[in-house]
Amino acid sequence: MVAGSAKVKNKNGIHLRLAGELVKAATKFRSHITVTKDAQEVDAKSILGVAGLGAECGAELMFRVSGEDEREALAYLVDLVDNEFAKETN
Amino acid sequence: MAKPKAPAKETTLNGIPASPGIAFGEAFVINVDDVPVSEEHIAADRVDAEIEKFLAALAKTERELQKLVNSLEEEIGEEHGKILDSHRMILRDELVRNDTIKMIKERRVNAAFALTLVLEKVLTTFAAIKDEYLKERAEDIRDVRRRVIRNLAGQKVEGLSGLRKKAIVVAKNLTPSDTAGLNKKYAIAFITDTGGSTSHAAILARSQGIPAVVGLDDVSRRVKQGDQLIVDGVTGQVILHPTPETVSMYREVQARYRELEKELLTLRDYPAVTLDGHQIELSANIETPDEVEGVMTQGARGIGLFRTEYFFITRDTLPGEEEQYRYYASVVKRMQSDPVIIRTLDVGGDKIARWVGDHTEANPFMGWRGIRFTLARKDIFKTQLRAIFRAAAHGNVKIMFPMVTVLEEVLLAKSICEEVKDDLKRQRYQIGEKAEIGVMIETPAAVAIADHLAREVDFFSIGTNDLIQYSLAVDRGNAKVSYLYDGLHPSILRLLRDTVAAAHKNKIWVGICGEMPGDIHGALLLLGLGLDEFSAASYLIPTIKKIVRSVTYDETRSLVRKALAMGTAREIRESIDRYIHEKRPELKEFVPEAAS
Repeated sequence: MVAGSAKVKNKNGIHLRLAGELVKAATKFRSHITVTKDAQEVDAKSILGVAGLGAECGAELMFRVSGEDEREALAYLVDLVDNEFAKETN
Repeated sequence: MAKPKAPAKETTLNGIPASPGIAFGEAFVINVDDVPVSEEHIAADRVDAEIEKFLAALAKTERELQKLVNSLEEEIGEEHGKILDSHRMILRDELVRNDTIKMIKERRVNAAFALTLVLEKVLTTFAAIKDEYLKERAEDIRDVRRRVIRNLAGQKVEGLSGLRKKAIVVAKNLTPSDTAGLNKKYAIAFITDTGGSTSHAAILARSQGIPAVVGLDDVSRRVKQGDQLIVDGVTGQVILHPTPETVSMYREVQARYRELEKELLTLRDYPAVTLDGHQIELSANIETPDEVEGVMTQGARGIGLFRTEYFFITRDTLPGEEEQYRYYASVVKRMQSDPVIIRTLDVGGDKIARWVGDHTEANPFMGWRGIRFTLARKDIFKTQLRAIFRAAAHGNVKIMFPMVTVLEEVLLAKSICEEVKDDLKRQRYQIGEKAEIGVMIETPAAVAIADHLAREVDFFSIGTNDLIQYSLAVDRGNAKVSYLYDGLHPSILRLLRDTVAAAHKNKIWVGICGEMPGDIHGALLLLGLGLDEFSAASYLIPTIKKIVRSVTYDETRSLVRKALAMGTAREIRESIDRYIHEKRPELKEFVPEAAS
């Protein structure tokens, strides 16, 4: 298993559309992936789980990934939240 | 006690006119209430069938959403489609699928009830979210639940896809998701509780050419399915349960309106030229790129005022250069070689709090707004100017600055333009280097120094709404003094005369953008004053063109000469009415009936 964290930087946090994009990205990988925010851990492949975290701007997300493509998956997801989502305008 | 058969009382509701025209018909109220769900026990041998039913409802809902996504992306762009795409992902969520199936099996309950319980659990998580914006996403989950449950119940999904005959659509608010399933030939008008003239309902109505009234408070609760309504998109009135007398009165108004509209549209491809050959430019004011289509169908020859603040204030972060460039360029490209006058950001202190920190002003109209704001926030100003000069490479763009009161502001703004152009050229961008630079004349101070301003710019555009407000010291939103707000006040005519004289003496053109040309008295005087360009809301264009084409320049000049010698707005108005009555009776229909 590998783990890594990312910070939410866009103004409105992980709202439904972004949760959807995160889930879409996570489902591309075979590994089992969870996201944790403040001790609440959810399946990264469930949009309701991810949106239900209520990850606001400034929140720290911890990804835990285990499986054959875990390294790739972790790097991809951390970059998505840290860099791609940061470009969002809302 | 009223008998059930007694006709309901006629009621007039006042809202904001959002798209002109008059419509009669039955109400089609969009119902967004939840379907009640009750717990039902499922026999052991029916469990599999119930699960099948559940999966079928999910599949059906998904197909519905897919259809909506497609039509939305086509209609208004990818961004909106993506929202509904996330609704589809909710449907596919393992949690929804597996937990609901598990619950149907284990507790032997009906699918609708099981789904409600499962999503209730999710919604509890959302209720605990502190961030208000993220918390509101729970609405999306409810929206999806509503769709699935309606499909389980075999009910038609609410929304406009249920509209099968011509009716007036009544709703709390119309979102793109609501109107995506709409068969447009059945909607004859929109009326909504909320919204302004730039809400989705308003824009869609204008593009469809049907009337709309918005901001009617609680109309969606007051009006019942099938109620008779009259919608007057010109005045913003909606009449509920009209009496036969009211109906026949409005039939006449409608017939007149239709005839006029037909006649006016025949003028679409003709220039705005007087009987004796004096031609003016007739252009339209817009707030968003969606309105460009309306500009062209109404026969305007350009955009005389492209307000840019709407793009800024409807979002939470400042738009970047690329985004602004694409936004402006989309308008410029569609207008081809016709002029597009882009006004730089004209926001007041009250609207910019989120970028500049808490900022309240006792008197925003006399405060930090227009060019005062952009010169203080050069970062915002330069980004906007870069985007505009780049967009200018695609057509005929002119730039103007709002709220100018001193010459230094113009000099400074011009030097920033030069700086921006140099930077862009160094960075090898294609730019519209020759874009004309103008100023808005909307304060008495600007009129008084118009000769100095005219030497520094390529054109003037007079903003009559603000000029009237600042000159007469009247807030027209204040009911106690709004009667004083009058564009025919002799002081306004003198200010206009002086502005035109200063412009023409310095060989620059001068236009007007504001509501004044939309009124026949205003239009005739502005024509006679020698304005080179009129810019007004696009739906007013055909009327103004008709007026211009029905008179001679000479007549209007003599109207102005007489008006300038008069001491009151009332005398001026009466003298114009007399002229219309005696010389141009065919224009009588444009004179408002209750002229004050």
